[in-house]
Amino acid sequence: MDFLISISEKTNPLQGVMVLSFAIFISSFFVMSESQAVKRFIITLFSVSLILAFYLNICSFISAGNFSNVLLSFENLQMIEISIIIFCALNLLFFISTYCMESRHFIKILSIFLFSTICAIFFVLARNFILMFVTLTIFILVIFQLMTVLNSKTDRIKPYIIGFFLRPVLTVILFFFGFSLFYGATDFKDFNQILQSEYISNPLIASGLIIFIVAVYLYLFLFPFQGSYVRLTRRNEVSSNAIIWFSYFPVGIFMLMKLDGLLGFFIENNNIYAYLLLAIAFICITAGSLGAFKTNSLRRIISFLFLFFIGVFILNISMFSAGIITGPLLSWFNIGNIFLIIFSFMPIYSVLSILEKNTGSDSIDSIRGLGRSNIYLGINLTLIFLSWIGFAYHIGPFIKYFSGTGLLQSGILNLMLLIVTAIAFIFLLINTFRIVIQFFKKPHKSVTEKIVFPGFLYIYVTFFSLVILAAAVWGLLKILNIDIGIMNFEIAGF
Amino acid sequence: MNFQFITYFSLLVFLMGIFGIFYSRDIISVLISFQFILISAVINFLGFSQFLYQSSLWDEIFIIFGIASIYFLMFCVISYFYLKLDLLDRKVLNRDFKLFKVERHDWCGEDEI
Repeated sequence: MDFLISISEKTNPLQGVMVLSFAIFISSFFVMSESQAVKRFIITLFSVSLILAFYLNICSFISAGNFSNVLLSFENLQMIEISIIIFCALNLLFFISTYCMESRHFIKILSIFLFSTICAIFFVLARNFILMFVTLTIFILVIFQLMTVLNSKTDRIKPYIIGFFLRPVLTVILFFFGFSLFYGATDFKDFNQILQSEYISNPLIASGLIIFIVAVYLYLFLFPFQGSYVRLTRRNEVSSNAIIWFSYFPVGIFMLMKLDGLLGFFIENNNIYAYLLLAIAFICITAGSLGAFKTNSLRRIISFLFLFFIGVFILNISMFSAGIITGPLLSWFNIGNIFLIIFSFMPIYSVLSILEKNTGSDSIDSIRGLGRSNIYLGINLTLIFLSWIGFAYHIGPFIKYFSGTGLLQSGILNLMLLIVTAIAFIFLLINTFRIVIQFFKKPHKSVTEKIVFPGFLYIYVTFFSLVILAAAVWGLLKILNIDIGIMNFEIAGF
Repeated sequence: MNFQFITYFSLLVFLMGIFGIFYSRDIISVLISFQFILISAVINFLGFSQFLYQSSLWDEIFIIFGIASIYFLMFCVISYFYLKLDLLDRKVLNRDFKLFKVERHDWCGEDEI
């Protein structure tokens, strides 16, 4: 026992990375193997290493607390972000194992995938500009390699992959240019140093920040640049789409969160930025919802809904700029939104992808009647879709804010923000009920009745449903001020 | 050669890159436009280092790591483009890679495969 305690006391966030690297090292001996037993061994090895990395990440924070040096910084937010990355990686392992097990390159795909997870972890931990930049570039490179190897059977998709990845390439180049402008203002090497110095009001810092925001905007394929993204997701192999949604996008969101501090400073000093952000948030949310509403393709619906939820991150920053939420609450809102995305889209996509595989179509008609033919999955999916109503937590800070100042005295920006939030909520409800109603409609043909879903899918979906149900009950109790005394943790955020 | 000249020259190269990105249709032109921005950033780094920080080492390390990683990424993209590509395959070679092209079906309606 003492031995275990002494190991636990010496844990470090980088030990998780070491575990993952060791797993890649072992898998490198088997990359040429096509044996099913070896493939199962590698899946088990990678799953165990990811679970261990997840444990070490949380355990090191609990035992050692914050830690920072010239290159890395590990605080509360980083611990949560790394946990999200590893959790997504574990789920992506499930997707890749389900759809690519028969591939000759299966073990290579898994090794590359685990390497992308290590890059993402280092990007989140990175504090120094050089490390931040290099890890981001290598992460994009590794995702590109994964995308090409997963789609190696079809040459038709090649132009779409290249069209997609030209934007992340431009993103890193703009980042490089942005860092060069920062260097003109000061020779500080991380965002915190700049934030605490008198150089922050230098125009070169403002120019660099604008370049960064444009770069992140391009990276996340927000309106009107979503063309290559939606074209690729429509044609992509199933697990490649999951990689884009649950690995590529979260890193982009963490990139945006790294800029929160600097952005907050400029927004506080100039009101124009707040109006600009509000306009961008409104456009992104409207485009995402209308895009999802005007299509019958399930893949396009999910793609557009992702863009909608990314627009919500910009809405959160707008709320912060208007003074409705504070800085720490902004981080919690962003994290809450990421959880909402991950815990809802993962089970939804897993079921829809199996439906698509069986029916051969990604039309919304293929889910028609699923709630009647498979009542258990239908109820679970309905519950997961209804979890998006959790977006209503955005209204809470408005109620608190307006009860203090009065609705008419609060200024035009805040009123516009309230209207945009309400519109976003209505759009989300429309899209949610459009899909949920399809589940319980009478089917055209009895196609959905013939589909046999694998047993593990039921366990997978049930797990997410239970988590969502627990979060909903817990949040509701918090809103009603009923203390259940489980943890000292504010789930409702206000 | 003074500091002001270097700054304006860098800005000019950056704007050429941006113009190229908006204007170019084929993949090679797009990647060359990217390199204009890259060169502009390198000029910025070296210029600021020379005139403001007495040729510090940090910018040189950044340039080496930055250029190496970006070129590696661009090399992978371009090698994938020409991988197993028949030069007579005009359909792919002449495909429009315009970066900021917006079509109606990209955000509204269906995209037929």
